[in-house]
Amino acid sequence: MHAVADYKNTDQLTGSITAKQNATRRIAHIDDDPDIRDTVRRILTANGYAVDSYQTMNDFTESLWNTTELPDLAILDVMVETMDKGLEAYVEIRSRFPKLPMIFMTSLGQEIRPYFTGLSDEWILIVEKPVDPMSFLSIVRSRLEDA
Amino acid sequence: MAVAEFSWDGSKNRFAFPGAGVARGKLSDQVLIGNARWFIIFRWAVIALLIGFQIFALIASDTLTTIGITHQQGWPVAVTAILSIANIFYIYALDFRPRTKYNSPSINIWAQIIVDLLCLSIVVHFAGSIGTPAPFFYVLHIVLSCIFFSTVESLIVTALVCCMYGAVLLVENPMLFLAPQSVLIDSGAAEVTPLKVNILLWMVTLDVLFIIVWYVVSRLAIVVRTNERHLMDAYKQISQAQVEKDRYGVLMTHQLKAPLDAIRSKIGLVKGNYCGEVSPEIKDILGKIDDRAAGMAGLILDVLKLERLKAAARDPNNHECVNIGPVIRKCIDKLAPIANSREIKVNASTEDFLVQCIPGQLEILFENIIANAITYSYDGGSVEIVSKLNRQSSSALLTVIDHGIGIGDTELPHIFDEYFYAPRAALHNRTSSGIGLSIVKTVAENNKLHIQVASERDVGTAFSVLFQYVGNALDAEKGMQQTNPGKYVAGSQGESLEHSKGGCQPA
Repeated sequence: MHAVADYKNTDQLTGSITAKQNATRRIAHIDDDPDIRDTVRRILTANGYAVDSYQTMNDFTESLWNTTELPDLAILDVMVETMDKGLEAYVEIRSRFPKLPMIFMTSLGQEIRPYFTGLSDEWILIVEKPVDPMSFLSIVRSRLEDA
Repeated sequence: MAVAEFSWDGSKNRFAFPGAGVARGKLSDQVLIGNARWFIIFRWAVIALLIGFQIFALIASDTLTTIGITHQQGWPVAVTAILSIANIFYIYALDFRPRTKYNSPSINIWAQIIVDLLCLSIVVHFAGSIGTPAPFFYVLHIVLSCIFFSTVESLIVTALVCCMYGAVLLVENPMLFLAPQSVLIDSGAAEVTPLKVNILLWMVTLDVLFIIVWYVVSRLAIVVRTNERHLMDAYKQISQAQVEKDRYGVLMTHQLKAPLDAIRSKIGLVKGNYCGEVSPEIKDILGKIDDRAAGMAGLILDVLKLERLKAAARDPNNHECVNIGPVIRKCIDKLAPIANSREIKVNASTEDFLVQCIPGQLEILFENIIANAITYSYDGGSVEIVSKLNRQSSSALLTVIDHGIGIGDTELPHIFDEYFYAPRAALHNRTSSGIGLSIVKTVAENNKLHIQVASERDVGTAFSVLFQYVGNALDAEKGMQQTNPGKYVAGSQGESLEHSKGGCQPA
């Protein structure tokens, strides 16, 4: 199961991108920690993005296989369900949807890097938790612009 | 109804590896190829010796005759030619022909041994099959077969040696095994008997010697191979344990840090006014909570980092050539937000040069040293990073200087101790994990670096890292062209830090 939280509130916002500009930007976020999901959802929705939150990788991948409309960006957790589930899902998603931009967000930061060795030669952006609103938004915008 | 079986009894196969016991006494193809090459090189040396002998025989044949060696019949030339042609053939089969059922390293070595034995038999025949040291050279092939082959195969070689030596003796004395039938008629025949006895004595003695040598060496070879296999098994177990330990470390780090990250994320939400307007007092308190949580999160990650650094030192083949310039620039980029928040200027004037190190570890070393310099500087201060390249001695000194609180004389000898923190430093920075410099020390140990620290209280500290055998900076560009741009480089600012393999050229 996953919760879909669309943008509704424009009052709290400090970002430069307006709600109107972001109305069509849809971001999928997968994390088993409800507090992190809530934080990301609040920050992104407050800044005009539509957020689809998923608790497990299976929920997310199933939604991807069953939809024709891909999210504009996916923010993946690495250690969700099992230690490598996030990485395995990344490889699978990458093979089926090579143009879908993705970001990894993990408590381990760069220390997860050895687990990527041999798994993918793609350039992978890893963001270390906690979620700092300012830097997090900057990374999301930059990734969306690059896509 | 779903049924799942769980079993944790791994004792049966715990230390069993595929193939263990099946190929007992046999060497792998890779080892056999190495042995075949060594055998070929050894043969070239023997060929060179034979050529030398022939040249010497041409120049000083009289001297050879004086000491009892007769140079005749040209057999050394024939043996040299056979060995040379055979050696070229072995190399061709080993390096230029595909591996097939009939062109395996094992067959190659078998061919080498059989041809060598034939050549040696010729030498024994001409040099003297009894009363000379020539037949003792058969022992060499028995020893080598014990090293190269299984016990049964080496026994076959030993039997072959006995047969060949017997054949040489038989060729020289066709009547060797015939009993004297005309002793009474021909008294001259009776005089041959001592020679026959002598020949038979030599044959039996040497055959016994060959078998004893085979038995002793093959037993030793079995012991050595068994110990070698045990060592390999132990090495595999250690490697596997290291992987498991790392996974456990990663899991524990994640489980410990994740709740802190959730707390700090929520603090970020409140401080960012995502939950409504918050008073400055509350923000200040939340900031302090966040700082302490950040310190704890940093400590958790540092413990994992330290363990990984220690583990990396166990791999002896992990050194690569790294350009120091981009490493320093990347560290500065990473630490710029912290320095800017306290209005500390980081001025770097470093040269690019190449050093041999474990990839990624220099970045950890300098990130810690520069972060310390920023942390223990006063607000509004500055940090200088300078390098001094000595091209004559191919060494370089990279120094990070701060003008901060400095380190006391009594504290200085202990700064690299794990979990050590000076009271003044703790007052200045409450979030210190106490293992930052332990990480620096571990990296320095892993990469064989020399670190010098000069400090004076309330004046500042200078950390100097001495690099030996540095390479030319121009080679760094070539190295970067060989990089894999697809690999993730943490916090990359568009400057690749990938490494060129193959060692650093002298500056």
